[in-house]
Amino acid sequence: MVHRKTEIMRKYLLFIILIFLCSITVFSQDLDQIVGSLTDNSSPDYANAAFKGTTIVNGQSTEIPGHMDLQFNISHRFGAINQGIYTLFGIDQGTTRLGFEYGLKDIVGLSIGRSTYEKTYDGAIKVKVLRQQTGVKNIPVTVSLYQAVFIKTLKWEEPDRENLFSSRLSYATQILISRKFNRNLSLQLAPSYVHKNLVPTPEDQNNIFAIGAGGRYKLTKRFSINGEYYWLLPGKTADDFANSLGLGFDIEAAGHVFQIMATNSQLMFARGYITETEGKWSEGDIYFGFNIYRVFHTGKRNKKGN
Amino acid sequence: MIKSYIKKIISVLLIPGMLVISGFQEKGSIYTCRNGQASFQSDAPLEVIKASSKNLTGAINISDRSFSFLVPTKTFEGFNSSLQKTHFNEDYMETDTYPNSTFKGKIIEEIDLSVPGTYKVRAKGKMYIHGVENDRIVRCDLTVSEKKIDVTAAFTVFLADHNISIPSILNQKIAEEIKVEISFSLTSADN
Repeated sequence: MVHRKTEIMRKYLLFIILIFLCSITVFSQDLDQIVGSLTDNSSPDYANAAFKGTTIVNGQSTEIPGHMDLQFNISHRFGAINQGIYTLFGIDQGTTRLGFEYGLKDIVGLSIGRSTYEKTYDGAIKVKVLRQQTGVKNIPVTVSLYQAVFIKTLKWEEPDRENLFSSRLSYATQILISRKFNRNLSLQLAPSYVHKNLVPTPEDQNNIFAIGAGGRYKLTKRFSINGEYYWLLPGKTADDFANSLGLGFDIEAAGHVFQIMATNSQLMFARGYITETEGKWSEGDIYFGFNIYRVFHTGKRNKKGN
Repeated sequence: MIKSYIKKIISVLLIPGMLVISGFQEKGSIYTCRNGQASFQSDAPLEVIKASSKNLTGAINISDRSFSFLVPTKTFEGFNSSLQKTHFNEDYMETDTYPNSTFKGKIIEEIDLSVPGTYKVRAKGKMYIHGVENDRIVRCDLTVSEKKIDVTAAFTVFLADHNISIPSILNQKIAEEIKVEISFSLTSADN
């Protein structure tokens, strides 16, 4: 009888230990579950930085400078490489655009610039109207609207006749739609519209439509390859000019983005590369070039000794 | 024989009973926190960078003194510029790949956290940041009051310990050793 009793006791003890162990494991899982359930999912999870630069190659990306960040842009395209060794493959020549870009509230980007081509000034506003996000709302794409005006400031060819200021103006409107598929791959579509107040002949189009597509793939954290194509919708412009194709890469280093590219467009403002691309890849009318973006923060900054 | 049957019946009844009771006890012994604060500071020769998050969540079980805490790394705000925040998320912490920073473990000191008072304790556990887990002991100050535990802690995190690499051009602007401060209030899960 005594023997039996201890046996039962033993079984009983075993049971208790077993349950105790079970409850401990259940319990430690519980703690993690509890923590997970406490996490606040009400704030949206934005997919930021689809592109490193405010342009992909020549064309605008959906990105704008961060809030109160002032970005200085230097862009340059050399001459065509098919000119051969005489101009050192185009290095002797080139066009330049200098510009500033400023970000407000991570939603609005304002930019001004001047290109050497036809002494063109440009001013633009880019507004992020949708931000790609998950969480409460599921928005699969970022959408930015881009509106630019270009002012040609070359002296009038015939100053004696009546020249209107409006003749100097042209405009570009783009709907930029991008999606960051993962940390490396981002793609963008850009339906675009260009309006020119004055065109050389009555046959030339005042209103030109094009569709742009581009993307980037990050090979390392600070290096990506980029590509971009603008397809002109059929018309006189599409007959006279080429579609813009640009291939390049981004290198990011401490507040700078360097974009180095080969493209058949020599012009660095939207009207130029969308509707006035003259180079043909097949004939070697390719221009090497670069964009350098330097970001300055204009708000307060914690410096040592302050 | 009858006696042993009775014992069996009792044990059969007792076990679920105990489970229920222990379940109740566990519920009362868990304290949670929702909007705890975590902040960090990088004190480099040329630049000071500060950021903080108010999204620290955590739970502690006062019966076995185990704990689990989590901060979604993306929720850190501050920095000196918006570009710096982008770099923090994209290049250094890689928050798309490693969304959370966590600390899980147990308080070493065998104290009864249901008794009001102030305690200095060591929390021992695994700290998970940027996909790398390290064993750490963190000194914490606990203030226990009725149904509430206030916790503050300060510790450092070495970037190298968590495989966070800084380009050499920036080593005058980003410290290798980051100061972290944590403060939060846990309340009983019953409330």
